[in-house]
Amino acid sequence: MDILVFVCAAAMILCGALGVVTLRHPVHAALSLVLTLFGVAVLFVAQNAHFLAVAQVIVYAGAIVVLFLFVIMLLGVDRVEDLHAEPFKVQRPLAIVSGVALAGLLIAAVVASQHTNVAARGAGLPGVNPVRNDLHDGNIVALSKDLFSGHVLAFELTSVLLVIAVVATVLLARRSRGIDAAPTDGQAT
Amino acid sequence: MISALVASDFATPHVDYHALAPEIVLGVGICLLIVLDLFLAESRKWLVSTVAGLILLGAVLPVVTLGVIGSDVRSMFDGRYVIDNFSLVLKALFLLSGYVVVLMSSRDTEERTPYQGEYYTLLLTSIMGMVMMASARDLVSVFVALEFLSIPAYMLAAWRKRDSKSNEAGMKYFLLGVFASAVMLYGMSLLYGVTGSTRLVDIGQAVTGTDHLVGVQVLGIVFVIVGFAFKVSAVPFHTWAPDVYQGAPTPITAFLSVASKAAGFVALSLLVFLAFPAAKSVYEPFLWVLAAVTITVGNLLALKQKNIVRMLAYSSVSQGGFILMPLAVAGTGDARTSLRAVVVYLIIYAATNLGAFAVVMAVSRKTHSGEIASYGGLFNYAPGLAAVMTLFLASLAGIPPFGGWYAKFGAFKAVLEARTGAAYTLAVIAAVNTVVSAAYYITLMREMWMKPAPDGDESPVRVPRNLVAALVITGVATLAFGVLPGFSGYGAITGLAGAFGR
Repeated sequence: MDILVFVCAAAMILCGALGVVTLRHPVHAALSLVLTLFGVAVLFVAQNAHFLAVAQVIVYAGAIVVLFLFVIMLLGVDRVEDLHAEPFKVQRPLAIVSGVALAGLLIAAVVASQHTNVAARGAGLPGVNPVRNDLHDGNIVALSKDLFSGHVLAFELTSVLLVIAVVATVLLARRSRGIDAAPTDGQAT
Repeated sequence: MISALVASDFATPHVDYHALAPEIVLGVGICLLIVLDLFLAESRKWLVSTVAGLILLGAVLPVVTLGVIGSDVRSMFDGRYVIDNFSLVLKALFLLSGYVVVLMSSRDTEERTPYQGEYYTLLLTSIMGMVMMASARDLVSVFVALEFLSIPAYMLAAWRKRDSKSNEAGMKYFLLGVFASAVMLYGMSLLYGVTGSTRLVDIGQAVTGTDHLVGVQVLGIVFVIVGFAFKVSAVPFHTWAPDVYQGAPTPITAFLSVASKAAGFVALSLLVFLAFPAAKSVYEPFLWVLAAVTITVGNLLALKQKNIVRMLAYSSVSQGGFILMPLAVAGTGDARTSLRAVVVYLIIYAATNLGAFAVVMAVSRKTHSGEIASYGGLFNYAPGLAAVMTLFLASLAGIPPFGGWYAKFGAFKAVLEARTGAAYTLAVIAAVNTVVSAAYYITLMREMWMKPAPDGDESPVRVPRNLVAALVITGVATLAFGVLPGFSGYGAITGLAGAFGR
């Protein structure tokens, strides 16, 4: 059963990922990204990480892909992008070679460490009770405990980071008042 | 529901507010700046830069009191956030170089940008990320700190929205930075997967000995190092640096080439010394190659540059190689000496490089050019500027008795103490490159001292007061670190830096 679920989910992930890269239409590419993200969510469920699976579906498959689609719509899907323009002829074969090499390296590393007894494989967060009681998913309790004790500073500061990201985005999108016109210092060439 | 939460044994984490005071001051300051900017009239916007400078100095205060009170290690959140001497020295470095950057920016932003409040807010946020990085002892904190310091920097690099070069700088920095983050995050997840913990110390205990290294562990280590190699612009991951440095506003270029790079090196040292000290068979050869290639390629490319900012960009790539050098022998040599060499190099390099960029800003106020040829005759109409620039260039080249000499001395000492063939080879490569690097620094000196002004215009350069202050701070620091190594507080600083609390 485990194997079956894994094979199906893995096939979903791989097909989706291939679709993102190969499909010509940006909307289709974004939709096959949803397939990949769903596949990952299925894998999370198979690992008993239900909370993570739900978050994955809501945040990634939901919010982020919708955002992608919005941007694609705003930019206009009808415009034809010529993907065959190549400034450097060697780039594409080089990218293929290095991509294949990287994939080979990863597979080799995983295969090589397959039989080693890796410390605490799949142990997950400390204190997770894999046996769920009736009301709660043990994951949520463990996750929140971890988030609000060990990582509380990083967690709180991330909120500041979000504010800053908003400030930067507004600034980037805002129409300037025309003072920052001409570059006049060291950068002028 | 509530009963279940009560039943779960949640212990409120211990928060040491004195130890967190620098971060708190900066955090409150960032919010204060955003609000202040809303209520200031356009004619009084100059206040923003003053307030930003004061916030930075205010954040230095608790760093000083923490340093004075004692050398005991303050550890919070289960050892994930640690205040020790190493982090205090680097926090002070980040805050003070941030202050110098504010001094350098103030006149520039007043004259040229309508968004002063946002500029300083982003600058302070980036500095806050660096301050966090110095204390982070956990993969999650390291990553959050890295994003904290990078995201505002992407925006700052693209600050001149109308200038296509600045747009290009922001875009390149963003894309390559995000790519590096992705690679690093992948490495981190592999490390977490095989060790079962995100704490650096736990990872250090799980990654034990050369014979137990697993393929996935090796990949994790290499990917994480590659991610930070982008940040410190080590060759071959340096391609973004010259374009970004040229396109960004000059104070931001100075900031990126000094503070942002230093933060990358801090993270790299944390990983090397805490997370995988036992994996020296993996990281040492890798860092060895990175260091050798970085020093050499950076130098060769710097030789050909006609634009001073690009020249300084490649020179800072090459200087980064010198900082990588002690890390490449951290396992076989003495770890303490290596760590000290890295920290000392970072401090001196920060003072020197910030100073060089301050001179570039001062001169370009008159010449409006970035060409090296435009520095002709500088000694005739601005002898002071020519003298301090010579000081900074000599320090960068490593000529005694200026600071850079002492920094290079420390790096070479750390490498030679390793006493292996590889270490000696690296030292020889670095020594040859030191000589080569002198060539382009001296070319610029000759331009300033010997050549006539290219357009015959010899009217004096009017340097704004804040820029003078920046020049004085960096100049005195560069000189003092070289002339008086081991004198007064300096010996204490280097001593402090060697102690690495866990």
